[in-house]
Amino acid sequence: MAGNPAAIKEGTSLFRANCSPCHGLNAHGGGRGPDLTSGRWAHGSSDAEIFRTISQGVAGTEMPANGFEDSEIWAIIAYLRSLAPPKNPVISGDRAKGEEIFWEAANCGRCHMVKGRGGLLGPDLSRIGAARSTAYLTDSIRDPDKDLSVGQFDPNNHYGLPLVYDKVTVVTASGEKIVGIAKNEDTFSIQLLDARQRLHLLSKGDLKQVIHERKSMMPAYSEEQLNSADLQDLIAYLVSLQGD
Amino acid sequence: MKASGIEMKIRKTLFLAGMLLSLAALAWSQVTYERILNAAHEPQSWLTYSGRYSGWRYSTLDQINAQNASHLTMRWAFQVGDLGQFETTPLVVDGVLYGTGQNDRAFAVDARTGRSIWRYQRNLPDKLQPCCGMVNRGFAILGDRLFMATLDAHVIALDTKTGNVVWDVVAADYHQAYTFTVAPLAVKNEIIVGVSGGEYGIRGFVDAYDATTGKRLWRFDTVPGPGQKGHETWSGDSWKTGGTPAWITGSYDPELNLIYWPTGNPSPSNFGGERNGDNLYSNSMLALDAGTGELKWYFQFTPHDLYDYDATQVAVLLDAEWEGKPRKLLVQANRNGFLYVLDRTNGKFLSAKAFGSVTWATGIDANGRPILNTNLERSGEGNRVCPGALGLTNWFSPSYSPQTNLLYIATSTECDIFTNAPQTYRAGHDFLGSVYVPDPKERPKGSLKALDPLTGAEKWEFKYFSNPNGGVLSTAGGVVFAGESDGNFIALDAKTGKDLWHMQLGAAVYSAAITYQLDGKQYVVIPAGSAMFAFAVGE
Repeated sequence: MAGNPAAIKEGTSLFRANCSPCHGLNAHGGGRGPDLTSGRWAHGSSDAEIFRTISQGVAGTEMPANGFEDSEIWAIIAYLRSLAPPKNPVISGDRAKGEEIFWEAANCGRCHMVKGRGGLLGPDLSRIGAARSTAYLTDSIRDPDKDLSVGQFDPNNHYGLPLVYDKVTVVTASGEKIVGIAKNEDTFSIQLLDARQRLHLLSKGDLKQVIHERKSMMPAYSEEQLNSADLQDLIAYLVSLQGD
Repeated sequence: MKASGIEMKIRKTLFLAGMLLSLAALAWSQVTYERILNAAHEPQSWLTYSGRYSGWRYSTLDQINAQNASHLTMRWAFQVGDLGQFETTPLVVDGVLYGTGQNDRAFAVDARTGRSIWRYQRNLPDKLQPCCGMVNRGFAILGDRLFMATLDAHVIALDTKTGNVVWDVVAADYHQAYTFTVAPLAVKNEIIVGVSGGEYGIRGFVDAYDATTGKRLWRFDTVPGPGQKGHETWSGDSWKTGGTPAWITGSYDPELNLIYWPTGNPSPSNFGGERNGDNLYSNSMLALDAGTGELKWYFQFTPHDLYDYDATQVAVLLDAEWEGKPRKLLVQANRNGFLYVLDRTNGKFLSAKAFGSVTWATGIDANGRPILNTNLERSGEGNRVCPGALGLTNWFSPSYSPQTNLLYIATSTECDIFTNAPQTYRAGHDFLGSVYVPDPKERPKGSLKALDPLTGAEKWEFKYFSNPNGGVLSTAGGVVFAGESDGNFIALDAKTGKDLWHMQLGAAVYSAAITYQLDGKQYVVIPAGSAMFAFAVGE
C-alpha cells in the first residue's frame, strides 16, 4: 500500500488518533516514543518488521501490542513511509572523541545518565540514538529551550506527572531561591531536585513563590562553548547510544 | 461521677432505643419513587446520581462545616481491586453504600466500616470500545433493585441484597462500539439511560426500561432518521453515523414531568465537511416527556460542532426570579465555555455568559446561537481554539448551593490545536476526523469557580495545579468538596473559596463526592484510583 494516497490518508488519521500521544503529531517523537522519521528503526526497518512492532508491541519497552486490523496496520506503515525522508546529515564525527567530550569538556554527564553512570537532572540518554534524529539532537544541544514538553496531564498516567525538565524557581519564606526541576508537583506541594541534585520536599503554603520559567534547565551550548567539530563528535557518540 | 438511678434508667432506655435503630437498619428497605422525589428531605441517604432530581449535588447535612472541616479524618477505605479511572457516584440507603467500579465491577459495603457485603463482576467480552476508559458512573436504585448500564451495552438489574442479576437486556450492539458508562436515572417505574460511543460513529439514543421487567418502554433517537423532524440538518447519509451520545445522567422536573437529558458531539467530532447542517440533536439539551420519551423541546448549544463540545454536563434546575418574575429555569455550565440559562418549561434561551477563555465564538446571539469566530488563530497545521476539546468544564458534576446561591464548577484552561481531515466510517472503529493536541506553549491548569448561576458573575476561584476531572459537592455546612487530577481531595469554604482542608489520595479524582449520615455521624465519600475513601469529623 506504500504510496497509495487513500491508505496514506487513513494511516495519517489512525496514526494521529492512536500513535501520536507518544510518537508526536507528525511522528517526530514525543515524551515517550521515538522519532519515527529518523530513518533508524531500532526494531527492524522492513515492512514485515514494522508490522510486527505495531501489532505485537516491543517487549521490555512502553510500546504496547495494538488491536488494529491488518489493513489498518498497512495503512499506518504507508503513512510512515510517506513521511519526508530523513535529512540526517552524514555522521562525520569521531565517536570516541565525542564520548570524551560528553564526560569531560562539555560535562554532559553531570546531569545526564548513560548506562548507569552520570547525573539525575536531565533525561537518561542510554538509548537516545535510537529515539531521536540528529537534527533533534543538534537542536537540543544548541537550543535546549526549543522543544519543551508542557508536562500536560497524561491521560495514560493517573498516578503522577510525565517527566519534564523545565527550570523551576521557588522562593522560600526567608527569600531564599532554589532552582531545579520538579520531580512532581500538585496544588499544595512540589518535589524539587536542585542543580546540585538535592531533593527538596516543599509545601507551597511555606513558599512565597513558585515560578515556572518555561526554560530548560540545560544550558545552551553555543559555538563558543562547543565548536562544530566537537559537536559532530558528540553527536556521533549520542547516535551510537542505541540502548544495547 | 456516679450516675443516679434515674440517669441510669435514661441511659438504658437510650441504649435500647439505639439497639432497635441498629436492628431496624438491618432490614432491607424499599427505595420508592416518592423517596427519591423527596431526597432533599432525606439527607442521611444518597438516592440518585446528583443527590436529587434537580441536579444540585447539594446536601442539607451540616455536621461537617466551615469551622470544623480542618479536623476531617479518614474513617474507612474500600478497595475495588481494579485500576483505571474510578468515576462512580455511590448511592447510600439505610446504612449500605452501593457503587460501581472499573470494568463493570459493583459492590455493596457497610457504610460505617467499608466492609463489603457483596461484590459483582460482569463477564465482559474482549473487544470493547469505550473511548475513555473501562468506566462506569454508578447505579440507579428503585425498590429493592440496583440498575446499571454496562460497557457491553446492556442494561441490568441487580438485587440490592445479593448483587444477583434480576434481569439483563441488550440495548445495542457493542461490536459497533455502542457502550454505556452512564449512571441510570430512575423515575416512577422507568430506568432511563443514554448511550456512549460518540468517537465511533454510532447513532445515539436515550432509552427507558421498565424497572420490573426490563422491557424497553421507549427510545428517543438523538439523530433523527428519514421523515423525522431535524433529519434535514444532516447532509447525505451522515445521520447514520452521526454520533450524538447521551452519556450523562439527566435531571427531572416532576411537576412538568420532563426529563432534561443532555447530548454529546456529532461524529466525526473534528471534521464537519461530510455532515453539513446543524446536526440536530447533537450538543443539545433535550426535554423529554418522562412517560413517553416524546421530545417537548430542545436547545442546541453548539450547532455543527467541530471541537467535541459535548453538552454532557448535568442540568441544574432552579426556580428563581428572572427579570422580576418567578420562573422555572435550567442552568448549564457548558463544555463550550458558556454558562446558559434557559426557561425549562419551553426551552426559551434567556442568557449565556463565558466563564473563562473562549475563542471559538465571539458571543451568543439573542436566539442563543453562537456567533462563530471567523478569524481563528492558526498554529502549525491547525487552528488554536479555546476551550480545547475537553472543554472549559466537562462531564464532572457541578454543584448548586441554595445557601450561598452559587454554582460551583471545575474548569480547565486548556486550549487545543485542532486539525481535521475526512475519514471513512468503519463500524466499530474510531471516527474522529483527525485529532486535536493541547497547545504545546502552555501547560493546562484548572480551577474551581463559584459563579452566580443567573448572571455568571464569578464570586471566587480556587486554582488547581492541573486541569481537573473531578466534580463538586456542596453542603449546608458551608463547605464545598472537590477532587482534582493530582490526587487532592479538598474542602473549601463555600462563601470565600478558602481551602479548609485537603488530603492527598494518591491518584487522580474522576468523580464527585457524596455525603450521608449514619448513627448521627456525617460522612463524605470520594472515589480515587482503585479505592473509595470516607471522611468524618469528631470521635
